[in-house]
Parts: sequence; C-alpha cells; structure tokens
Amino acid sequence: MKRSLFLGATAALLAGCDSTRNALNENAGVKRVLDVAENLNLAVIGTHGRAKLYNESDIDRDYPTNGDPTPVDATYRALVDGGFRNYELAVSGLVEHPQTFDLRQLRALASLSEITRHDCVEGWSVVGKWGGVPLAKFLALVRPKPEARYVVFYSFDHDDSGQQFYGSINLVQATHPQTQLALDLNGKPIDPDHGGPVRLRIPTQLAYKSTKWVQRIALVSDFRPIFGGKGGYWEDQGYEWYAGI
Amino acid sequence: MDSTAPSAPARAEPGAARGPVVFRHSVTVRLTHWLGAFAFVLLVLSGFAIFNAAPYLDASDLSNPAHRVLAFGSVDKPDGSHAGVTTVFGHNFTTTHVFGYTDDGQGGEAPRAFPGWLTWPAYQDLAGARVWHFFFGWVMVLTGTIYLVVGLLRRDLALLIVRPADFPKMWPMQAYYLRLRKDPPPHGKYNPLQKAGYTVVLFVLCPFIVLTGLALSPGVDAFAAPLTTLLGGRQFARTWHFLATLALVAFLFGHVFLVASTGFFNNMRSMTLGTYRLGKNEGTGK
Repeated sequence: MKRSLFLGATAALLAGCDSTRNALNENAGVKRVLDVAENLNLAVIGTHGRAKLYNESDIDRDYPTNGDPTPVDATYRALVDGGFRNYELAVSGLVEHPQTFDLRQLRALASLSEITRHDCVEGWSVVGKWGGVPLAKFLALVRPKPEARYVVFYSFDHDDSGQQFYGSINLVQATHPQTQLALDLNGKPIDPDHGGPVRLRIPTQLAYKSTKWVQRIALVSDFRPIFGGKGGYWEDQGYEWYAGI
Repeated sequence: MDSTAPSAPARAEPGAARGPVVFRHSVTVRLTHWLGAFAFVLLVLSGFAIFNAAPYLDASDLSNPAHRVLAFGSVDKPDGSHAGVTTVFGHNFTTTHVFGYTDDGQGGEAPRAFPGWLTWPAYQDLAGARVWHFFFGWVMVLTGTIYLVVGLLRRDLALLIVRPADFPKMWPMQAYYLRLRKDPPPHGKYNPLQKAGYTVVLFVLCPFIVLTGLALSPGVDAFAAPLTTLLGGRQFARTWHFLATLALVAFLFGHVFLVASTGFFNNMRSMTLGTYRLGKNEGTGK
C-alpha cells in the first residue's frame, strides 16, 4: 500500500515535470529570454573562414534526402515534365537591376565546384560535390541597393498546410565565397529529390538554411513582414535563424 | 585544530568530527556552484533531446554505419508490440520502455532513444531543445569563467588544484573512504582525491565538452578546422561530446554520493551559508 502510493506519487511527479517542461518550452516569454543565445552565437561565431574541402573519395553517391519529398506543386511538376526548359529565376526587391534568369544563363555563370560537407541539424553529415553560381557573383549582377540587408529565397515547395517554404541569409553570408546557387550535385544536374534545378548551398551553416527548389529571390531590408516573420520556414517552426552552430 | 569530541563515535559520520567551524566558500563560489549545477542539468537533458534527432554515434568524420559505436532503435514485433534496442559496438541489448522504444514525454510511448523523463523538453522537439541547450551553454560558460577568474584573483583555486605532493596521499585517502583506515591523511581545504577530481573536471572535462560541442558546428569548423580534425571529424566530435557528458554525469553522481555520505548537513551548510565544521586531519590551506 505504502509502496504503491510511493510509486503513484513518483509517477505523478514525473508526469507533472513532463508537462511543466513542455509548457516552459512553449512559453513565448521564456523563448524571448532564451533567444539571447542566438544573438551571442551570431556575434561570436558568425561567418568566418572557409568550410573544409573534401576529396572525390569522400563523396557519398547515395546522398540522403531529408525534409519534404519532391514538391507536388503543379507549377513545379510542369517544369519537371518540360525538363526545366521553362524554369525562370526572378530576382526582385531592393535591387538596382531586377532580372530573370533561365537555366542556360545560370549555367553560363556557374564557376564554383566544391566538395563540401553537408551538416544536418539532426546531427548527421554527408559529403557531396556541389557546382553552381557563387551567390556573390550573382548578386553583383542584380546590384543590391544600399538598404538591402537580407536575401530571401522562396521555394516551390509547400508544407501540408499550404505554407510555402522560404529562407533568408544576411549579406555577409550571401557574399561568402562558398555560398552558391547550386545547379549540380556530384557532376550531374541536381535531381528533383535533392532540390533541383536550383537550390541554395551554404556549407558554413546547418543545411536547413540551404533552401531547396528555389523559385524566386528577393532582397529586403527586414524579413519580419514575411510569413511567420522569423526569416524562414524552419525559423518559423522555432529553429534559429543563425545556424552556424 | 583537529580535536575530536571524546564521545563522538569514531567512524559514524566522518565529516561530522567536531573540529572548529571555518568560513569555507565565498559567495561567488556558492552562487556559481548552484547556477552551474542548474545549467548542467538543463544542458544534459536538452542534449539528450538533441541526440534523439539522430540517435547514433559514429567514430568517424562523416556519418558511417561501419564506425557506429552506439545506436538506439525500435523494432516492430509480429504481435504488434514494439521493442527498444540499444546497440553498443555492434552488440544488441533489449531496452524496451527505457531506451529505443520508450516514454514519449506526453503520456505514451514511441520510438525514441532517450525517454521523455530524461529530456528537456519532454516531448520530441529538436528546435526547442537546441534553444535551451545554447542558452544554458552560455550560462554555463559565463558562470564557469566568473568562477575561474574570481578563484584565481582570490587564490581559492590554488587550494583546489592537484599537485605532486598530493599523489602519495591519494591511496591513504581512498583507504579512508573504503573504511580501511581510521583517519584521512592530513590535508588542506580539499583532500587529495577531491583535488584530483575537481582538477580533472574543471580543467579537462569542462573545456573538452565546450570544445567538442563547438567542433561539431559548421560555423566553428569553418574557422577552426584543425580542432574538428584533431577530434576525428564532425561525427567523432559529436561522439566525444556525448562521452564527456557521460563522464561529467558520472562525476555528478559520485559528487552527490560523497556530499551525502561525508556529513550531508555540514557539506550543504558550506555550499549555502558558507560555513563548515572541519573534520579530523582537515585544514584550510593547500
């Protein structure tokens, strides 16, 4: 009797603790305090140096896909069926030269090919050879206005509720020499499962920052008016905007 | 100094020997101790929650099942029930309801490595767990820095760091703990085993766990690649980070056991009010 009472009390205490921890995890005031750490991480770690380069022998030919499968969006499907011949990447917002690029134009700009490590926020890593257009070179063509602070990438993909995927990086990360609009994975055009025809690739941050299936790009001074206001789909789900750690 | 009350039982409560009461821990030490303890618990629990997102550890740079040292998984059995399986160096252990298939933190069970009662938050939320982990990581690093800087300035640390003169006293101290010896060897503020333990924790394990955590971050690896390489790569750094956690948790259990078994109230008084009654052969210096 005493024993079962003790066990019951212990179980109740543990369950109580569970819901307390979960409630604290969802408290907006607590979250605001905890978010201080992200600012410290950005200030202390930031964007410095270069991601390590790997060898051909390190490449994993069976590169995993994560997150959403290939978008089922009708516009995207039509592009896949047409071999991406009708794909156009529009750049808008705070730029001197708003422009649209088709895949041929993008391929003409491609000058970066690096074997780098892809670090997933879940904890795993895989190596692939990524080729494409250095984002710095791309931005130099569209000329960001002085007030532009962030580059926003909108994806063809939507989640089950219809929310569009998107992401953003600051100009320091955007002009980092290893940040690229990737067109090729392991020597072949990126297939639809891995984010083709154009995806972002940022080897110095966790891979959830590397938006797949880039549909259009906008330069903005502030990302708070966009969707959930946290600067990206994953950020709106609670992940940090700065993902260098 | 070392007067034992004649009526005191010789071995009943070693730390309770009736020596003089001294001021043992400064307010900085007491505050940083409890803040650090709180942050440590949150770091371990949120760390287990983060680990659950990729419940395996590899001794290699890249994820590689051939170098897997630890993995948790769940197996669906023909009768519709589930089994939790923990794999250590290729050896499988059934750990249903504890690891692999266990408490989901919301009153049920699910495939997950660490149970909900051992993670922060209790349910699986990688994004939330990371936010807690980094916040308390900063709390821990800043608390530890304050402790070390103030300890150096006040020369408290000099009393705690193990020195060659302590080595010959370690076995006699261990023999005393094992009740093979009546009295501890004469020592200063900390006994030789405390000094060894605290020195390893403060100057080896704590820096190591910070460095291994940083080394598995792509933003740090980009400017401190030799660190990640030295640790064997990103996945290996993750494995080291986990092993350092286990070592510190083991220290915590040993620490709490010794606090409780060497004069609980006297020890707790020293880390709350600051005052402490010295035991036999116990001093206040080096």
